[in-house]
Amino acid sequence: MSDRAMVGIVLVSHSAALAEGTAELAGQIAGGIVTIATAGGTEDGRIGTSIDKVERALRLADGGAGVVILPDLGSSVLTVRALLADADDLPDQVAVADAPFVEGAVAATVTAAAGGDVKAVLSAAEEARHARKL
Amino acid sequence: MPESCEASVTLAGDLHARPAGALAVAAAKFSSSVELVVGASRADAKSVLAVMGLGASSGQQVTVRAAGPDAREAVDRLIGILAEATKVGG
Repeated sequence: MSDRAMVGIVLVSHSAALAEGTAELAGQIAGGIVTIATAGGTEDGRIGTSIDKVERALRLADGGAGVVILPDLGSSVLTVRALLADADDLPDQVAVADAPFVEGAVAATVTAAAGGDVKAVLSAAEEARHARKL
Repeated sequence: MPESCEASVTLAGDLHARPAGALAVAAAKFSSSVELVVGASRADAKSVLAVMGLGASSGQQVTVRAAGPDAREAVDRLIGILAEATKVGG
């Protein structure tokens, strides 16, 4: 299981700082072995989303085993959907997680680090909706 | 023939996010089911969020229970991580 390529993670946020901070946290918890690419903010550094940033992150995150994308809110989802509908030559296995951003990123990254496939990583992220923190 | 196995360790430090991640990554590589028991709380060891949700702290006893073909290896591995990773916290 662990000798294959790992699933990559893409974090899409309206805020570059939020995406990068979440990537740092999830990466450390999972031992730093998973590729986590971020697409935060607009091209000119404002709060918002950028389809080009998401596309670059998706290509960066793909190591051959597929990619799971976590959008933060609202138009992050729309931007991801627009990219997946329109772009050519994307990685073969791409899934979008309907999950809380921080918890989903941590759960997805840990499952990717353990060698889980796209389906396992996606369900780990989505199960984070039910995780209690207290 | 599935087997089950369990062992306990007393934490030398709090079970922080990083050791929880190391535990979940290790647990997910076994085919056996693995759970952690702390007092009245249980968590699937393969779920990092569930492990963190235990809030296990220094001095508490954690029991690792596994059931399946590699239960013994899973328990040995996780007990080792719990003993080592909570030494300095995380």
